[in-house]
Amino acid sequence: MISFILIILASLFFTGIIIRVKSITSGRRGPGILQPVKDVIRLFKKGAVYSKTTSFVFQVAPSIYFASILMAIMVIPLGEYRGFISFEGDFVFFAYLLGVGKFFSIISALDTGSSFEGMGASREALFSMFAEPAFFILMGSLALLTGHTSFQEIFASLHFGSYISYILGVLATFVLAMITMVENSRMPIDDPKTHLELTMVHEVMILDNSGFDLGLIVYGTNLKFAMYGALIANLFMGSFPLYITIPIFFGIQVLFAIAIGLLESFTARFRMNHNAQYILALSSVSLLIFLGVLLVLGQFN
Amino acid sequence: MTDSLLLSFALLLPVTGMIAIPFLPSSIRANVNFIFVVLIAAITSIPAVKALTGDTVDVVINGTLVFGNITFHIDSLSSWFILIINLTCIHGAFYGIGYMKSYKGRRTDLSMHWILFLLFQSSMLWVCMMQNGLAFLVVWELMSLSSFLLVIFDHSNKATLQAGINYLVQMHIGVLFLAAAFIWVYFSEGSFEFSSIEKFFFSNQNLWLFLLFFAGFGIKAGFIPLHSWLPQAHPAAPSHISGIMSGVIVKLGIYGIFRIIFFLKQDYTVIGEIIITLSVLTCLYGILNAAVHRDVKKMLAYCTIENIGIIGIGIGLGLLGMGNGNTLLAVLGFAGALLHTLNHSLYKSLLFFNAGSVYQQTHTRDMEKLGGLVNTMPQTALFFLIGGMAIGGLPPFNGFVSEFLLYSGLLLGIKSTGITLITLLIFSLAGLALAGGISMLTFTKSFGTIFLGAPRTHLQQQPREVAWDMRLPQYLVVIIMLSISLFPRFYFSIVNNIVLEFIPVAPGGRAPVPFPLLNGISAIGKFAMLFMVLLVLIYLIRKSISRKHPEATGPTWGCGYIVPTSKMQYTGKSYSKSLGKLLSFLILEKKKYKEISANEIFPAERRHSSHYNDFFVTRIFDGIVDRLLYSLNYFQFIQNGKIQMYILYGIFFIVLIFLGTIFKFI
Repeated sequence: MISFILIILASLFFTGIIIRVKSITSGRRGPGILQPVKDVIRLFKKGAVYSKTTSFVFQVAPSIYFASILMAIMVIPLGEYRGFISFEGDFVFFAYLLGVGKFFSIISALDTGSSFEGMGASREALFSMFAEPAFFILMGSLALLTGHTSFQEIFASLHFGSYISYILGVLATFVLAMITMVENSRMPIDDPKTHLELTMVHEVMILDNSGFDLGLIVYGTNLKFAMYGALIANLFMGSFPLYITIPIFFGIQVLFAIAIGLLESFTARFRMNHNAQYILALSSVSLLIFLGVLLVLGQFN
Repeated sequence: MTDSLLLSFALLLPVTGMIAIPFLPSSIRANVNFIFVVLIAAITSIPAVKALTGDTVDVVINGTLVFGNITFHIDSLSSWFILIINLTCIHGAFYGIGYMKSYKGRRTDLSMHWILFLLFQSSMLWVCMMQNGLAFLVVWELMSLSSFLLVIFDHSNKATLQAGINYLVQMHIGVLFLAAAFIWVYFSEGSFEFSSIEKFFFSNQNLWLFLLFFAGFGIKAGFIPLHSWLPQAHPAAPSHISGIMSGVIVKLGIYGIFRIIFFLKQDYTVIGEIIITLSVLTCLYGILNAAVHRDVKKMLAYCTIENIGIIGIGIGLGLLGMGNGNTLLAVLGFAGALLHTLNHSLYKSLLFFNAGSVYQQTHTRDMEKLGGLVNTMPQTALFFLIGGMAIGGLPPFNGFVSEFLLYSGLLLGIKSTGITLITLLIFSLAGLALAGGISMLTFTKSFGTIFLGAPRTHLQQQPREVAWDMRLPQYLVVIIMLSISLFPRFYFSIVNNIVLEFIPVAPGGRAPVPFPLLNGISAIGKFAMLFMVLLVLIYLIRKSISRKHPEATGPTWGCGYIVPTSKMQYTGKSYSKSLGKLLSFLILEKKKYKEISANEIFPAERRHSSHYNDFFVTRIFDGIVDRLLYSLNYFQFIQNGKIQMYILYGIFFIVLIFLGTIFKFI
């Protein structure tokens, strides 16, 4: 349960840090780091406008999306403290839970009957589909390396490996960070600040959402960031006691947020029609990890 | 009641039904058919349940002239399939009552349809019981023929007939392989009985005979490249028949493969590797094609191919487990495959029924012509949504349970030794995940295009929600699906027992499934429940909060454009276009379009058409068939239409046989 609380805490300031970093690099002061949460609260208090075309799907989809993220967060452990949900093969459950959320966010976009939202939905489905193998190869390799198949056991025993496991950790960080960007539709994949609907992915899907629903979706994005941040933090946590792991956790979350801020400030977006290939190329990095694991295990002899 | 009495009832009942149906008034034929289906199901389920709890049922008819000993054998494997057949047939017959009402003018056709339905169900059941190769082929053939005749219900339609004949021919190619395999066993062991297959495997190399059987059963199951009948036959058939064909007939191919696998004595690993490679490819190929097709039933047919691939991955894993002596892996693989067989028969029949409901109301299977049906047919939409989520393996539905077993199996498998094996399995893992992703794309596309948004074309008749008798069987299917996802442990224990009965267990008794894994399986059910509770909770919070705030409705935000029409919606085609374009080497798109030339000042109206072709059919089979036809042209002189010549051929062969016996050639 402790990881759940920590992730919720981290989600409060994560996006704030990203925005602050982006402001500073572009020479502005920027809003306070709690501003995104204040925005969400403001959205919660607002009324809503629904499109006449929409049906019950549009009404329930944001709730399901949010619920799926909450469930997924419950799977994440903190070092040797298991998450609320923990069993052998729980990362499969994790990935498929996020799939449920995505399924509903896609069909709710299609529910509006808007050509732009359909476009965004199509891209979201395609990109997240290509990110799928990368995650599974990564987790499969880690399972092979550690001999365990649940998040908590994998992360707890990852620490005891040789030096090469830290190199694998760095590669895994890269993969997870990129998956975060795909899942949250951030910079190299999608530009959340773009001003043309034709070039958006995630933002265009939620054009018709408003009020409480929009608040749920926006806050869901914050939660997802913190969730992947927690996964990355777990790679380097091992089985230290709590008074060490909690600072590590927040340290890595902050570092990750700053890194995303810098990345978003200094990179341009990938070409939209080549995005799928870029994302699929992520699987090759995962395969590199897999090869590394084979090397560690001495399978090449 | 004794077993033989039960079995003779299982033979007598369908015959009675088939004779009775034509004499009944046409208004109650469908209902009577349903009653007979239920009765047959009940009669055959009794021994099946008995076999599942441990008592196998054996009835032997000794010393028949042609067949030799015919053994009716119901063990737990047959029982599992018998129960699946019965379940799907009951739903199908029920749904059929409502679905066929719109054809009530065609009385003779309908009467034939219901007669064949009984034959179809019974022949499938017999397939699961027969343990004599020759008798097996006969009932197998009965099954193919009855399903062929059911497929061409709409026989005045040229496309339907073509699809039907294609199905017939391909099924017979399958029978050819099976017959060859049985004859091989016969020559080697002197008997058509299934037990002689086991004897054959004891003393000979296993691989080649298995591959022969695999080819025969694989055509039925739809493994690539033997799948091409599926996407043609399923759209042609009436929906409840497509539901049963996709839900069960295809699975009988799987049954056959299972049956043969449990006779195997060696070569497990190599056969496992072949099957798992083929299965991953089948899985990806099926779902890729499903993603781009616009005919909803064709999409579902390709999706069936994907699921056969998933089942195949399980079978392959199980074989690898047997090869390594890793009982747990064998259990996980085979149990996953068996459970997925049940799951798929449930949600695929649900989806086909659904497609039938939509077809009945709109008279089109083309998704691009539909849209916005969620407002007029909300329950049908909900069923499709549930089916689509389940088939993508998304929790909290049943598809996830079997996929979880397979994932667990794959993760267990990669711990085995051998770099080839590990690499193969990690690619299978990625392939399964990728297929899950594409299946999400496929079903968001289909659901979105058919049910969401605004209607794309003006339909002649305003669609309405279908009648209760068509919805009720779908509710039943959904309830069974939920029972699997909420109580996975129970279903797992059944398939686990089946598997343990067949795989060689290491000394020391039955290998138990370790506790953490069982824990994981029941955890899925528990957390599926938690997920649903959480979801309802959040929805209620949302409702209570948003009640306090003003709500308004308006048109969809058109990004500044003020006169949008429903034709400007994103189409299913454009939704999956980028995927199709990326993989254009595999998904062949055929476009017909005339470019506007530079000197055409006032362009006339023009058409653009695009459809997708099957890679194997276009690139491989069409060429072979063309060349075959070309070379067979040279033999046309034999079939010259002169009756004298035909009589001469007869005499010629009689003389040949006569000479043959005289000189002892035969």
